[in-house]
Amino acid sequence: MRRTGLVLTGAVVGLVGLLGYRAVTPSLPAFVVSANAPSSSTTAPPHNSTTAAAPPPPTTSGTPPPHNSTTTTVAPPSPTTTTTSAAPSASRSATGEAVNYIYGVLSVHVTATGSTISSVMIGSIDDGGNYQSQSIDQMAIPQLEQEALSLQSANIQGISGASYTSAGFRQSLQSALTKLGL
Amino acid sequence: MGTIVTIDLYGDAHLDKSDLSRRVDAAEGIVREADEVFSTWKSHSPLSRLRRGELTLGEVPADVLDVLELCRTARLLSRGWFDPWSMPGGVDPTGLVKGWAAQRALDPLRELGLSGALVNAAGDVASFGGPAPGESFRIGVVRPSNTKRLACVVKSPGAVATSGTYERGNHLVNPFTGMACATASATVTGPDLGLADALATALALCGPSGLEFVNALASYEGLIIDASDVSYASDRFPMTELFLTSRAA
Repeated sequence: MRRTGLVLTGAVVGLVGLLGYRAVTPSLPAFVVSANAPSSSTTAPPHNSTTAAAPPPPTTSGTPPPHNSTTTTVAPPSPTTTTTSAAPSASRSATGEAVNYIYGVLSVHVTATGSTISSVMIGSIDDGGNYQSQSIDQMAIPQLEQEALSLQSANIQGISGASYTSAGFRQSLQSALTKLGL
Repeated sequence: MGTIVTIDLYGDAHLDKSDLSRRVDAAEGIVREADEVFSTWKSHSPLSRLRRGELTLGEVPADVLDVLELCRTARLLSRGWFDPWSMPGGVDPTGLVKGWAAQRALDPLRELGLSGALVNAAGDVASFGGPAPGESFRIGVVRPSNTKRLACVVKSPGAVATSGTYERGNHLVNPFTGMACATASATVTGPDLGLADALATALALCGPSGLEFVNALASYEGLIIDASDVSYASDRFPMTELFLTSRAA
């Protein structure tokens, strides 16, 4: 019984970290992820000015941001961008901007054929290598990748269940989709 | 609360972005405030101080009293299966606070001309409206045996909450035995995410027989998925697609 309390400790440690925000025009097609009009996607500004005083270095360190920070600091566009423009039906891919998330920095790599997303993967991730963030990443990242695909294939707007819906993931995903013109 | 919250707004692209941004800040503030007040891991949160006996019920913020009142309602409606007073270490409304906070975070987003808004607190989803006028949000429920796949899709009536043992290890406590145990996954839909969150916790603990107390509630519905991927749904569960075997409870 006591043990369960401790399990709960592990589950609840952390914080309400990330709040993402996007607006979608209803006139766009039902594929929600890809329907995000770039001009209508906005990121909530940092919650308070104190977090801006000490943003974690975006690419040189994996140190998790301080607990009170809203990790919406945007790193410079990832140098690994590999956009290849081609005929609309050809397979093409892009890596979104590197974005700070709750445990470090990540970028999302998207491959699309025509207007359909065929794969969503983590392009790069630096989570500082500590045990907690790694174990959470192992659980969360595959799910986020799947979420992006599910949202498209099932025409759903959200997932209920074991879902770490990361705003950082979405932000990088959005920028990759924008690069692909989706 | 150890969780990640996302807020999605759906509406015409011509809506005033700076106004929407301020409202999203307000919604974010509600979630953060709930974390400050109810965190059992911040030793100075009012809830932590209440649990240690440093504050009395007369000294805690009104939100604490509201949440405890909702907990009492949930305990009654779930016939005791949701019981924050049976948790080790004193009263612990954690099983309901996340949903309660997400539900309240919708308030600043109303009456802005949006077609809908959706607050997803790590898999517990509160919403109003839909992706387009006249439509409902469709929420996928994760399959507990394989969280990369969906078990079903539900048409959200406003709140969709899922509890289970799979997401972060076994963290549910049976209030009657004190033992950790649960069905693989339980999802509750209804008008309010706080109550839905609590009822999902109760249903995960109670198993398929708990669908009886869900069926007794006019506006809440439940779905259980067991470890073998067999599902059991209440009478009017708003499922649009099911990707599993179903069985009568």
